[in-house]
Amino acid sequence: MTLLDFARGPGLQWSVAIFVFGLLWRLVGIFFLRTKPDLSEPRNPAKWKGLRLIALRSWPRKEFLEGTAFGEVMGYTFHLGFLVALFFYVPHLLFFESVFEGLLGTDFEGIFGFRWPVLPTAAITFLSAVSVAALVAVLIHRITNPVKRLISNFDDYFSWLLTVAPLATGLLAYAHAGGIRYETLLGTHILSAEVLLVWFPFSKLIHAFTIFAARGATGMIFERKGASL
Amino acid sequence: MSAPNQDIDQKFPLELNEPRFSVKDPKVRFDMQGDMSDEQRVETAMRNFVKDFGRTAAIYMESCIHCGMCAEACHFHEVTKDPRYTPIWKLEPFKQAYKREYGPFALFFRLFNLKPKVTHAQLAEWQHLLYDSCTVCGRCSLMCPMGIDIATLISQARHGMFHAGLVPHELYAVAERAKREGSPLGATPKVFADRVDWLADDHEVDIPIDRDKAEVLCTMSSIEIMKYPDSVVATARVMNHLGVDWTFRTDGYEATNFGLLSGNAAWQKQMTMKLVDAAIACGAKTLILPECGHAYQALRWMGANMNGKPLPFRVLHMAEFLAENVREGRLRLKKVGKSVTFHDPCQVARRGGAIEAPREVLAALGVELREMFPTKGTNWCCGGGGGVVAIHRADKLRHKVFQIKMDQIEKTGAEIPVTSCANCRQTFDDGQAHFKWDKTMHSLLEMVADNLIEDDA
Amino acid sequence: MATSTLGEYLRARGVSRRQFLRFCATSASLMALPPSMVPRIAAALEVARRPSVIWLPFQECTGCTESITRAHGATIESLIFEAISLDYQHTLQAAAGEAAEHAREKAMKDNWGKYLLIVDGSIPTANPGYGTIAGVSNLEMLKEAASGCAAVVAVGSCAAFGGIPQANPNPTGAVSVSDVVKDKPIINISGCPPIPVVITGTLVQYLTFGKIPELDALGRPKAFYGQNIHDRCYRRPFYERGQFAESFDDEGAKKGWCLFKLGCKGPVTYNACATTKWNNGTSFPIEAGHGCIGCSEPKFWDKGGFYQPLSAGDWGSGRTIAAAAGAGVVLGAAAAALGRKRQKDVEAKQS
Repeated sequence: MTLLDFARGPGLQWSVAIFVFGLLWRLVGIFFLRTKPDLSEPRNPAKWKGLRLIALRSWPRKEFLEGTAFGEVMGYTFHLGFLVALFFYVPHLLFFESVFEGLLGTDFEGIFGFRWPVLPTAAITFLSAVSVAALVAVLIHRITNPVKRLISNFDDYFSWLLTVAPLATGLLAYAHAGGIRYETLLGTHILSAEVLLVWFPFSKLIHAFTIFAARGATGMIFERKGASL
Repeated sequence: MSAPNQDIDQKFPLELNEPRFSVKDPKVRFDMQGDMSDEQRVETAMRNFVKDFGRTAAIYMESCIHCGMCAEACHFHEVTKDPRYTPIWKLEPFKQAYKREYGPFALFFRLFNLKPKVTHAQLAEWQHLLYDSCTVCGRCSLMCPMGIDIATLISQARHGMFHAGLVPHELYAVAERAKREGSPLGATPKVFADRVDWLADDHEVDIPIDRDKAEVLCTMSSIEIMKYPDSVVATARVMNHLGVDWTFRTDGYEATNFGLLSGNAAWQKQMTMKLVDAAIACGAKTLILPECGHAYQALRWMGANMNGKPLPFRVLHMAEFLAENVREGRLRLKKVGKSVTFHDPCQVARRGGAIEAPREVLAALGVELREMFPTKGTNWCCGGGGGVVAIHRADKLRHKVFQIKMDQIEKTGAEIPVTSCANCRQTFDDGQAHFKWDKTMHSLLEMVADNLIEDDA
Repeated sequence: MATSTLGEYLRARGVSRRQFLRFCATSASLMALPPSMVPRIAAALEVARRPSVIWLPFQECTGCTESITRAHGATIESLIFEAISLDYQHTLQAAAGEAAEHAREKAMKDNWGKYLLIVDGSIPTANPGYGTIAGVSNLEMLKEAASGCAAVVAVGSCAAFGGIPQANPNPTGAVSVSDVVKDKPIINISGCPPIPVVITGTLVQYLTFGKIPELDALGRPKAFYGQNIHDRCYRRPFYERGQFAESFDDEGAKKGWCLFKLGCKGPVTYNACATTKWNNGTSFPIEAGHGCIGCSEPKFWDKGGFYQPLSAGDWGSGRTIAAAAGAGVVLGAAAAALGRKRQKDVEAKQS
C-alpha cells in the first residue's frame, strides 16, 4: 500500500472516525454538564436576541481595536486563507463532494441546486502562501509577546504546527518541491490534514465549534441583563 | 462586647478616617485563614472550584485559544504591561482544576498528568492575581473574541480561594465583620438606626425606619452610612419629595455583599436573604438599591438565585428609580448648567445593564454631558471594585490604574465628574488625595437631591 | 542471423541511413539525452549484436503484443522490434507445441547468461493449473527462464505489477515478475498496454549502453516514466484556471477543458503518453476526451473508480465512523455524569 493509498483509504477513514469520536465525546461531555436556571427577572425577556453576539464579536469594538489590530488582521488572514483554500480549491471541493456522495448519495449540486464555485489555482496558491506567512507572523508574535508567551502551552504550538502543515505540504505538492514524486507529496499533504483532524477534537482547535456556544451563551446571559455585549 | 469580637477587632481594626474605608493597614498580615495544611488548602480549593463548574463555565474553559487579547482590556495590564495580569492567566489554577477534575477529558489529564496539579505555592501566588489585581469589572469579557465571560469565572474562582482560606487579610476581615455584625464597616443595625436618627434631626428630614408596611424598601451601602451620610439624607429627600410610601429597615438595610466579593457563597446568600426577608416582611413592591455597584449585581441579578425562587418585588438601582420618575414626569429638577462627565460603575452599567438610566437623569438636570472615551459598556473601571480598594498592599497598583481614570476625565474637560456607586466614589476620593487632584467625584443621587423643584403650591 | 549486427540487419531491410539517424535522434530525445549523444547511439546500434530474446506470455490479454504489432505502417520501431532475435514468442511464432518449446530451450542453452527475457502477463500462484504452457506452469517456466537470462523486461502492467489479473479479489493469486524473480535485473515497462516506442526505446537504450537504464522506484526507465501525465498535459492550463469539464458532453468537454473532475489520474500517473502519444503521435486518451485511468501505475484497477476524482476519499463502509460516533456520545455522556457526580459529592460533604 502506497502512502497515497493509505492516506486516501484507511488513513482517511480512521482519522475521520477519531475526529468524530473525539468531537462528540468532548461536545456531548460539555453539553450534559449541569446548568442552573436564572431566576432573576430579566430586563430583556427575549434573551435569544443576545445570540447576535455570535456575529457581533467577530470584530472588536473600536475602543479595543488599537491593542488587538495585529491579532485581528493576522487571525483573519490565516483563518480566511485556510478556509478559502480548503473550500474553493477544485481537488478539495471534489473531496467534499465525495463526502456528500458517500454519506448522502448525491453531490453538492443535487443538494443545493447550484455548483460550488472554485477559484483558479493561482489564487489558491497565493492565499495559501499568505496564510502561511500570517501563521508565521502569529507564531513569532506568540514567542515574542510577553503575554502570549506566558499563557502559551504545548497545545498552542503543536496546534500551530498541525495547522501550518497542510498549507505547507499543499504548496510543496503543488510546486513538486525537491523533485519528490507528486503522489508522495500528495499523500503527505492528505496525511497532514488527517493528523490535524485527529488532533482537532482534543486540542484548542475545538474552538471552531465552541466559539459559537461560548459567544451565544454569553450573549444570552448578557442580553437578559441588558449588559453590554 | 464579647471576647472573640474583641479579638477580631484587635486583629482587624477598622480605619474610618481615611479617604477610603477599610481595616487598618495591618502590621502583620493574615492572608491565610483557618488551620489547614498546604495539601488541605489545595484539596479544598480544587473541590470548591469543581463545585462551581457547569455547562457554561465548561464551554468557556474549552474555548480559550490563548490569544492574549484580554490583556489589552485589563487596566492592570494596561498600566504595568505585566503579563501576569492577563485576565485569563488569573484563572490558570481554575483552568487546571477544570481540566484535571471536571472536563470531558479529565480522566486523561489526571492519568497522564497532562495538566500539572495545582500547588499551594501557586494558589498563594494567585491570591494576588485573583483579588489584588482584578476588580471583576468585566472589560475583558467584552474583549474576548471567543466570548468568554472571564469576570464571572473570576468570581467563581474566588469561591475556591475563600474555602481554602486564601483571601487577602482586609477582604477577609471586612467580609467576616459583615457576616458577624451585618456591616463590613461597623454600621451595625444599632449604629445605622442611631445615624438615621441623628441625620433626620440634623437635616430636618423625615427618615422612616422599621415601618411594618411600606411600598418601597430603601437600602444603603455601609460606605454611604459611614462615609457619605449625605446619601442617606438624599435618599430620604428624594423619596419624601416623590411622596413614596417607603422605609428603611434595621433587619435589611446593608446592600453591600462581601460574601460575594470575598468568595463565600454561603455568606453571600445570608446577606442577600436579609434584604429579601426584610422586603417581604414589610410587603414592599420595590426594593431600591443604593448607589453601589456590586450590590446591584448581588441582588438584582443573583438575588432570586440565592432565594431559590423569583423575588416577589422589583429590584431597582437608585439611578434606575430616578430615571423612571424622570421619565414619568414625577421628578422635576432644576437645571444645573454645568459640564459633567459620567463614570459608569462596572457592575451597574457594563455588567448590570443600567447604562442609559443615569444619563436620563443627567439630561433632566440639564447638564452638558461630556462622555469619556471609552464610555458606557467599555468605560475604564475606577480600579477599586471587586474588593480591591480594601486591600492595602494593592494600593500602589490601584493608584497606577487610577491614572487612566484621571486622564480620561481630564480629557473630557468636564467640570464635575459624577457616578452612582459609593465604592467608585471612595476609590476616587482616595485617588484624589493620593495625586492631589483637583477633581472630586460626585454622587448622582446627591446631585438630584440638591436640585429638587419643590412645588409647595 | 543471431550473430549479425543491428546495422547490417536494418540496411538489409532497406532502412536508409537518414531514417536510422532520425530514429536515433528521436530515441535520444525520448531518453532526455543531449543531441551530442545521437552519433554515439548510432554507432552503438550499428555494431550492436542482435541479442537473443525469449518472450514469455503468461496471464495476459495479448494487448501488449498488439500494441507493438498493430503499429501503423512499417515503423522503425517495429523494425527494431523485429531486429532483435526473437527466439520464442508463442503468440507470434509459427512453430507450436514441442517444436516451439525446443526453440526456447535451444535459445536458452545457446545464449545462457546473455539472453534477454521479456515477460508479459502476470503469474498465477493460487493453482499451477491456472496457467500452463506445454504442461509447465507459468511460475516454473518463469523461474527456469529467468535463471539464465541477463535481464528481465516486464512488459505491461500485468508483468510489472500484477495488473488486472491481480485486481481484487485476485482469484488466481496473480503476482508480478518482480515478486518471483529476485536475483536478476528487472526493467518494468508498465502500461495497459505500454506505448510501443517506450518498449522499443527501452530496448534501444539497453542495446546502446549495454546496461540497464536508470530506473525509478517502481523499476521503470526514468527516461520514459520520469514525469507525470498532468505535468505534461496540454490541458494543464485549464486546470490552473479552474476550468473543468463537468460531464463528457458539456460545454467544458467540448472546449477541451481539464478532465480532473471526471476522474483523470494524470497527476499521479507516470508515463510518456502526453509527450510521445499513441498511433505514431496521433493522440492519447486525454486528447481523445477521456481522463487518464493511470494504467501504468500499480493496482490502478483497485484505486477507486476511473471516474472518481483523484482527491475523492475512499470512505469504506463508513461503519468505523458510525461506531466512533456512538462511542464518542457514550463517553461524553459518561464524562458529564462523572463530573456531576463529583459535584454532588462535594456538596454532600459540605452540607
